[in-house]
Amino acid sequence: MQEAEFFQLSTPVALLLLFGFYGATFLLSLLIGKKKENVDGYMVSNNAIGFGLSAASMIATWIWAASFYASATSGYRYGLSGPIHYGLWGALMILFIYPFGRRFRQLAPKAHTLAEVIQARHGTSSQMIMAVSNLIGSCISLMVNFTAAGALVSILTPLSFIQGVLIAGLGVLSYTLWSGFRASVMTDFAQLIGMILAAVIIIPLIFFNAGGVGMLAENMSNLNAEQANFFSTKAILEQGAPYFVAVLAYAIGNQTIAQRLFAVREDLIKPTFLTATLGYGAVVIGLGMLGMLALFVGLEPADGNMNNIIPQMASTYLTPFGIALFFILVVGSLSSTADSDLSALSAIMMTDVYGKNLARGKPDPVRMLWWGRATMVAATMLGVIFASLRLDILVMLVFVGALWGAIVFPVIVSFYWDRVTNKAFTTAVASAVILFTVARFELIPIEGLAAVFFEICASAGGGVVIGLMTFAFFNRRIAIGMALLVAIGSLPFTLGFLRDYVVLLSSLTAYGVSAAVCIAMSWRSHERFDFAVLAERVTSFHEEDNLPRQQTQARAGRAAMANV
Amino acid sequence: MTSLILATYILVWPVISAAILLVLIVALVRDMRAARKDGDSMV
Repeated sequence: MQEAEFFQLSTPVALLLLFGFYGATFLLSLLIGKKKENVDGYMVSNNAIGFGLSAASMIATWIWAASFYASATSGYRYGLSGPIHYGLWGALMILFIYPFGRRFRQLAPKAHTLAEVIQARHGTSSQMIMAVSNLIGSCISLMVNFTAAGALVSILTPLSFIQGVLIAGLGVLSYTLWSGFRASVMTDFAQLIGMILAAVIIIPLIFFNAGGVGMLAENMSNLNAEQANFFSTKAILEQGAPYFVAVLAYAIGNQTIAQRLFAVREDLIKPTFLTATLGYGAVVIGLGMLGMLALFVGLEPADGNMNNIIPQMASTYLTPFGIALFFILVVGSLSSTADSDLSALSAIMMTDVYGKNLARGKPDPVRMLWWGRATMVAATMLGVIFASLRLDILVMLVFVGALWGAIVFPVIVSFYWDRVTNKAFTTAVASAVILFTVARFELIPIEGLAAVFFEICASAGGGVVIGLMTFAFFNRRIAIGMALLVAIGSLPFTLGFLRDYVVLLSSLTAYGVSAAVCIAMSWRSHERFDFAVLAERVTSFHEEDNLPRQQTQARAGRAAMANV
Repeated sequence: MTSLILATYILVWPVISAAILLVLIVALVRDMRAARKDGDSMV
């Protein structure tokens, strides 16, 4: 068993690493800085980012500090299959989401946020559901990343938690503020190179320093039967399945992903998402292996805190150089996600709050840009303050997860089925969130008829998840067939059983209820939406970008007049 | 034998990560050349 002691970098080395990292990133952002930023470029670049930058940015954004800690925790808790049940499902989410992304992009090529496209499809109330869930989600993500920075700095250096939070907050803001999303994408590449290099070096180093193949053979007895089983039912039910259900919601509900979707060159969406799937999976599963190795060597997490597993492994088995690499790995991962959150928050405030509502569709691009920058400053301040207070965000996180789970089906189906109405969208989301809350917090006893009701809803939710994933790659009939098969076929297994797994039960309920309400209300609707109008309603904000469209419209208008 | 398979299972991920990194760097260099040729900005 290992001692729960952490090696600490000296203060000058820690400051050198932190200021070196943020200084280099800031200098990199200066390379692309423009005196007068284009408002569309600030949110989605030139809508034509190449494969290398966009795939790297997607991976860097999706890997946050919590990815390492959670994957390692899963490896430590569930053994052989643990890292897979975190990393693989997170990676597959990127894969499953790209066909829908291509549809969104095809319908609204000039969009900045998904909420903006929802507004063009349904109206303000649906847009605000989407925008508010995105805002809360990105704020939480920002706070979690700053908290991770504080925790890392306080564990591995003599600096305090607050100092770590402040340095990370100011560092990220410094290079993202002026050029927004463009800076985020540009710096993501450099950060990802650092992260992957660190992972490639650290994982084998820890493995061999811990004893390599011989250690695995000697310590296999440290794993219990479930942990030694690659197909552990416990790991699937407690980790894999709830996470699998949650990540689909994260992909749809997260503006950072939507932003990259609207920024990449349209014909490169598929290779970008495929590469991001592999890259994310390899890095996160690889770092999850450190948790599994911790289980093999019999490490006990310091203070019983699972987040200490990776720092403890690094402290025990790495040289100071390796620990410095690990330090940069975590700072890089949290910074790349934090800058993406700042860019996402600014895009939502610029487009959905100012552009589409306060300015009533006639925004001033200069004022809009200042809205974006002010949002970044305010969000950083809030993130730093909340991180410093070390608030318990679990309840908020649960609600955002539920909200995102509830919007997945209505959002996707809104861009394929012309009958879906604004009322169906909002009612479906509201009813799903209410029933999720009842199940998740057990506001009524989940037993008897109530339990059966929720298990039926959850079975439907399982069908919805599988149906949506099938629909990503196959036609509608096969998807509906798969959804019905899973929803009905799973009933004998879920009835009387799923009530013991409240997290999974409530998450699936959100999917099932939102889909059932949305379908029932839309079925009776007489509305037939013309998807072609989305591209007309969702346009660039920058005047030069709009000029060709305005000229085209003027020409069309003159032609129409001539015909009259 | 089991230990060797386990070791491969642990070490395959850094190898895949390195391969992805190589792909991304090559793609970035290509994008940079194309942008320079067209006189465009990469972002």
